[in-house]
Amino acid sequence: MEELIQNLKHEIIESLNLEDMTPDQIESDTPLFVEGLGLDSIDALELIVLLEKKYGLKIDTAEEGKKVLYSVRTMAENIIRHRNQ
Amino acid sequence: MKIYIKGTGIVSPQETFLAGDFPDEVIEYREARYLKCIEPPYREFIDPMTVRRMSRIVRMGVCAAKKCMQDARISMPDAIITGTGLGCIEDTEKFLSSMIRNEERLLNPTPFIQSTHNTISSAIALAIKCHNYNSTYVHRGFSFDNALQDGILFLHENPGSNILVGGLDEITDHSYMITSRMGLWKRQSVNNLSLLEYDDRGSLPGEGVAFFTLGTVNNNNAYARIRATDIQYKPENPESVCLKLSRFLADPGADETGPDLLLLGLNGDPHSDSIYYHLHNKLFKDRHIVYYKHLCGEYDTSVSFALWLAAMIIKRQKVPDVIKLKPFETGEIKNILIYNHVRGINHSFLLITRC
Repeated sequence: MEELIQNLKHEIIESLNLEDMTPDQIESDTPLFVEGLGLDSIDALELIVLLEKKYGLKIDTAEEGKKVLYSVRTMAENIIRHRNQ
Repeated sequence: MKIYIKGTGIVSPQETFLAGDFPDEVIEYREARYLKCIEPPYREFIDPMTVRRMSRIVRMGVCAAKKCMQDARISMPDAIITGTGLGCIEDTEKFLSSMIRNEERLLNPTPFIQSTHNTISSAIALAIKCHNYNSTYVHRGFSFDNALQDGILFLHENPGSNILVGGLDEITDHSYMITSRMGLWKRQSVNNLSLLEYDDRGSLPGEGVAFFTLGTVNNNNAYARIRATDIQYKPENPESVCLKLSRFLADPGADETGPDLLLLGLNGDPHSDSIYYHLHNKLFKDRHIVYYKHLCGEYDTSVSFALWLAAMIIKRQKVPDVIKLKPFETGEIKNILIYNHVRGINHSFLLITRC
């Protein structure tokens, strides 16, 4: 889990072009949107593409997206759940 | 009505952005395939969370526009009008490459959103929260001329307002490769400062962003006045350009003595450049020629670089030696005629005059 979280942090920085940020600055449990990292709806789309392209995890509804993309940890948990299905 | 250039902001392959003036020393690119812009310190002009999503041309555009407003001491323009020949090609390439690579699935949204030609004028509006008139003209070699014409019409309808007008184009490895196949560029690397000394066909490609704050009221600090503009599409022969230009200068408002200086779009392609020399011999044999494409390269909106250069010359009353076709002593410069054509198709005429 922790390794996956670290990988996700690197991938988030790369895909969202967060040039000034390091993985250590992203808290695993902090909300990614609005508060916390302050991401927006376009970033959400980028993360949805990232999850499907890299991990095969498809997000079908907005409600599901809110839960999966809440934090780096929720992303990792959903990836693991998807792998185990 | 008089149209004043009240501020400028320019990003080019020369050190023009921070200086805000013609640089003391120009940059010599000894083995250039194409000229790329010297990028501004983005973080000083754009919020970090915003800049991360912008491509290079959008960043350069926003910086140049903000610098231009600073220069004119305005915080909110009444209109933002841009002209671009090819628009945001870096993001267009990303988007199209991604479509091919992923078989039209799982496309990243950002390059798609930012691939449209009006991304830059929109990004400027978002950055300064400007809800005023916003328009982008895409018409190859006329793109900047059309933007400028729209700006002038806007000022006629809204006297007293201040507007931003910009011309911008970028070059990428991919676009260079494609346009090379069209035979537009020189086959070997060239020294930009010797651009007119090569005998073979083709020019040196480049890129740039130039913004102008235009207004009808002189703030006593204006650079110059745009006296007249005109365009000619696909003239039949050099004679028809001479005729068009004669009429352009004879129109009411043009000075009887004509231009003091000719700022021409010589680009190093002997075939393309012949018309400039023909025009000079026919109409302005006793006038001095200055040129600019060895500094910025050839691109669809390079005439915006020429307008900036003309504004600087008029304001400073100085002509840098590096742009003189032949050495000459500079006298008083009241009027500058800019004449440029893009691939013999889009011919632009601008008459710039002292305030």
